[in-house]
Amino acid sequence: MTRATTAAALGSQRIRQRKLNTRNGLGIVREDELEPIDDELQRNVPRIDTGIEKAEEQQVIPISSALEHHLQAALSASQAAAIGGKVAQIYIPTPDAVPSSIDYEKLYPLKYKQPHSYIRFSSTVEDVAGCPYDLDEEDEVFLRSMNKRKNASTQCSDVVFEEIMNCFEETAQSQQPWAAVDSPPVISYETTEETMDDYLDYAQKRFSKEIYEHWKTRRLEAGNKSLIQGLKFETGADTDDADPYVCFRRREVRQIRKTRGRDAHSAEKLKKLRKELEESRELLAMIKQRELHKREQLEVERQLFEQRTNLRQVKQNLPDQYKQGDEDILINQKPKKKPLEITQRMPNIQIPRRTDGRPAESDLLHLSEWHAEREREISEAIEEKIRQHQKWNEGFVDLTKAPLTPPSETGTGSTFRTATTEYLPTPPASVSSEHSGDGGMDFGTVNANKAESVAVRYASPSYDGPCHSQPSYRRRFGRGGRLLIDRRGMRMTQKENVDSAIADRYKYDDDDDENEVPRYYVDPFDTASMVFRSRILPGQPTQAQMQAMRAQREAALAAQAANHGNSSTRSSRQPGSDG
Amino acid sequence: MAPRDGSQERTGTPDTVEKGMATINTLRIGVKAFVEKDGEKRKAEILSIQRKKGEPNYYVHYEEFNKRLDEWIPASRLDLSQEVEWPQPEAPTKKSQKSTAPAPKSATLPKQTAGQKHPRTSNTVATSRKNSESPELSTTTGNAAKPARSPLVGGKENRPGSDRSISVIAPEITTDTPKGEDSELDLVDIQDAAAAAKASNPQHQAPYSREEEIEKLRTGGSMTQNQTEISRVRNLGHIQLGAFEMEPWYFSPYPSTFTAAETVYICEFCLSYFDSNQTFTRHRAKCTLLHPPGNEIYRDSSVSFFEIDGRRQRRWCRNLCLLSKLFLDHKTLYYDVDPFLFYCMTTRDEHGCHLVGYFSKEKESAEGYNVACILTLPQYQRKGYGKLLIAFSYELSKREGKLGSPEKPLSDLGLLGYRAYWAETVTDVLLDHEKNSKDGKGSSEISVEEIGALSAMTTNDVLHTLQNLNMLRYSKGQHVIVLTEAVLEAKEKAKAKEKAKGLTKRRIEPARLMWKPPVFTASSRTWNW
Repeated sequence: MTRATTAAALGSQRIRQRKLNTRNGLGIVREDELEPIDDELQRNVPRIDTGIEKAEEQQVIPISSALEHHLQAALSASQAAAIGGKVAQIYIPTPDAVPSSIDYEKLYPLKYKQPHSYIRFSSTVEDVAGCPYDLDEEDEVFLRSMNKRKNASTQCSDVVFEEIMNCFEETAQSQQPWAAVDSPPVISYETTEETMDDYLDYAQKRFSKEIYEHWKTRRLEAGNKSLIQGLKFETGADTDDADPYVCFRRREVRQIRKTRGRDAHSAEKLKKLRKELEESRELLAMIKQRELHKREQLEVERQLFEQRTNLRQVKQNLPDQYKQGDEDILINQKPKKKPLEITQRMPNIQIPRRTDGRPAESDLLHLSEWHAEREREISEAIEEKIRQHQKWNEGFVDLTKAPLTPPSETGTGSTFRTATTEYLPTPPASVSSEHSGDGGMDFGTVNANKAESVAVRYASPSYDGPCHSQPSYRRRFGRGGRLLIDRRGMRMTQKENVDSAIADRYKYDDDDDENEVPRYYVDPFDTASMVFRSRILPGQPTQAQMQAMRAQREAALAAQAANHGNSSTRSSRQPGSDG
Repeated sequence: MAPRDGSQERTGTPDTVEKGMATINTLRIGVKAFVEKDGEKRKAEILSIQRKKGEPNYYVHYEEFNKRLDEWIPASRLDLSQEVEWPQPEAPTKKSQKSTAPAPKSATLPKQTAGQKHPRTSNTVATSRKNSESPELSTTTGNAAKPARSPLVGGKENRPGSDRSISVIAPEITTDTPKGEDSELDLVDIQDAAAAAKASNPQHQAPYSREEEIEKLRTGGSMTQNQTEISRVRNLGHIQLGAFEMEPWYFSPYPSTFTAAETVYICEFCLSYFDSNQTFTRHRAKCTLLHPPGNEIYRDSSVSFFEIDGRRQRRWCRNLCLLSKLFLDHKTLYYDVDPFLFYCMTTRDEHGCHLVGYFSKEKESAEGYNVACILTLPQYQRKGYGKLLIAFSYELSKREGKLGSPEKPLSDLGLLGYRAYWAETVTDVLLDHEKNSKDGKGSSEISVEEIGALSAMTTNDVLHTLQNLNMLRYSKGQHVIVLTEAVLEAKEKAKAKEKAKGLTKRRIEPARLMWKPPVFTASSRTWNW
């Protein structure tokens, strides 16, 4: 920048260059359109502050290679070219790659067929690279000598050998994951045997003992390190960091700040996971069930088959016992086809099919018939529905309806009935007395009704039957199973015989209107009452009557005085004034 | 960078480097001698010595050349008629062989402190990292800046001490610095390449401490700044892959026993590795994989792309990373492959889908990178596949509706590849735009951000490209973009070349890309297994 500005100052003092704004549009011009003076100015290419830190800029290429001859040459060549010089393009020399002497065609057979669509692929190297153990020269020598001792039928192939070696390797790895660090002894054959089933089949196991010895020897040679050449990963030791061969370290887990939201989130996730696991478990359980059923079915089929075989045997032995239809049970009969249900759509379908133009009135339905059919179907459907409902409701008691509608009146004891008198020919035994009558006292039927829960009623319609004048009663159950007897029309049959004065005494003996002031309806023109009135009105009360009344009043006052203290003194005087 | 420091140290350096004649028997690790290479003598540093069949072999690094040219040479190629430079006397050669604990600072520091401007924050300094000034370098580059450097002792570098921490030195690029190319100023630092490669003085080069680096890697990222990662002796001799054999360029942490093997065989499809032909042949008899183990997301007449999730295909992706580490210096395999997606380009024939190259991409990049590592296998290089890979990575970014840029640092080849792609893309965008505006569609102007939006390139990358191509100029009081003759010429040349070859240029056709940006939940983005 300094150089640019100084040069600008020297070249043409009039212009001070503005800073370049990367957002502003810049004109595109050809070189010949430039004025020479401008061009002159351009010799001092303005260094534009690109905003990169100097240090950062220097990282664009490694400093180490910054002044390498080849790079310098190439850069200056391209630079010269940019300015307009004639320079041949310069390459940085690199060690050449040369065609290999290996038998490429054999090692890489022509197996690839390009699919029409873009390839989608997710298998890993481990999936596609086969057995990870590769037979090496040392193994080869061993294997040849081992096979020499065997006859042609029991040779161990390379593949089997590798499988077995791999089995040992992987067992060792899983048993001694830290073998690289704490150098434990080579695992024993017995240990490998435990896991061998996972890796090897029976045929392969034949060689395992022999090969184990070989493997053990090799492991011992290698200091019990894995025979498969592997990368060096971190072991947790301090030397890791400096060791250039240790690579692909794990990145430490970044601590995530704990928040309630995150907690809830993960809890939610766990719940979901649990639910899903549970579902899949259920699914598996059901699959298991299904498979069990299948097995059962297969067993049954097998039995069937055996029975049939037996039967055939029997029939072959006894050919004269032929019976029509025996063949039928030897084979599986096709299940009879269900008669096709005629749906209402069928006529519609049939009509368009008639393509031959033949008049086919006979096939056509009359409207009335169709209506009738329709009617029938509807009613059938309704019937069906009802049946279905009944079926559904079977074993259920519908408690929803009962409180709202009165139970049917057919039940015994729930209605008023006339009280009838019946004379038993003989006095009944006390035990059976309840059962003897059919006049409503049959508790057995009551219980039966109760069991059906129809006897409960909360509101009964007032039923005033024609038997109004007749005494009747009914029995009902109140809350808590109380048995109530309602009576109606109970007339005192001896009323006429009772003395009218006594009867009168009870005439108004009614609990219901306790609060009402009793009113006596007396005929004012009755002679008796006229006589009574004539006696009381003109005459003074008798002496005795007066005294009795006074005494009565004073007693009441005294009681009042005792209650009210000094106020009673005043009131005690009042009677005096009254009197 | 840090020119000041370098220059200051330079004054002190000549005394400290010990020169002298050497014999085969006195050569040791860290010695710099002249080695015959391609008919010329190049100065090279001995990084390792091995005896093969009684004859000593030397692993040498040629100064100022990429490490991929490091090689084993017999003693006969060493020119002992010239003086050799001895490593710093106090450089603890024996100790460094083991490359272990940092020595206490007090013992090693005194000499250095004089020249050190940078604050040293920590007490522990790896002794082997001590600067040893190398005077010869001051002449080799035209830069005033000379970094301090030390001999690399032992094949494997020491772990950087915790002192690595500090300070990128503020680069005060002085006006008087005679630079070759102005435009390179920002991209290319002035440090001696070889010195840096050997990580002699980590304070200068690594803006990250070891801990910072690891933390950065943990949260994604696949490229390392760490010198210890990239300055190891190559461990494999030959690679057999598919129908080709090649030499690896860099160290890769294949099983350590493979070092002994002459050739390492790699299965072309599952990328499993074997140290003997026998086991490899056995494996091929069993392996059924015929293409990268993922979903095909793009297919045209010549190539297919497969998308592979590092988490789901851990084994395969590890194998791929091991393989690509052989050719990528700054790639690190420190952490696992889980947070990356791998986009693999293949060609097809009846053998199967052959891996040509790939790029990896973070599932979620904090820095907006659309490529982590990118590699064309050596046998397919210089055939235009690299550009196709880059184009595909930008096509994915377009589909995502994001701007992208590759993770830094880029390798030398990567840088050239990206620059070429950027130049071509930006030029195409500009030409299109110019054509459209002439046809009366749209305005004649285009902003840098619009170019970025059309190409999914970040604004910075566009700016850098424009500058590198000298297209951004100032005319009549405003900035303009100039379609320079050179650019147009290059365009014509490329067209002519295509015609000559009779090939249509390989392009990514967006309509053939059947891909939706994958969405990952936080947990699957891979903080753990």
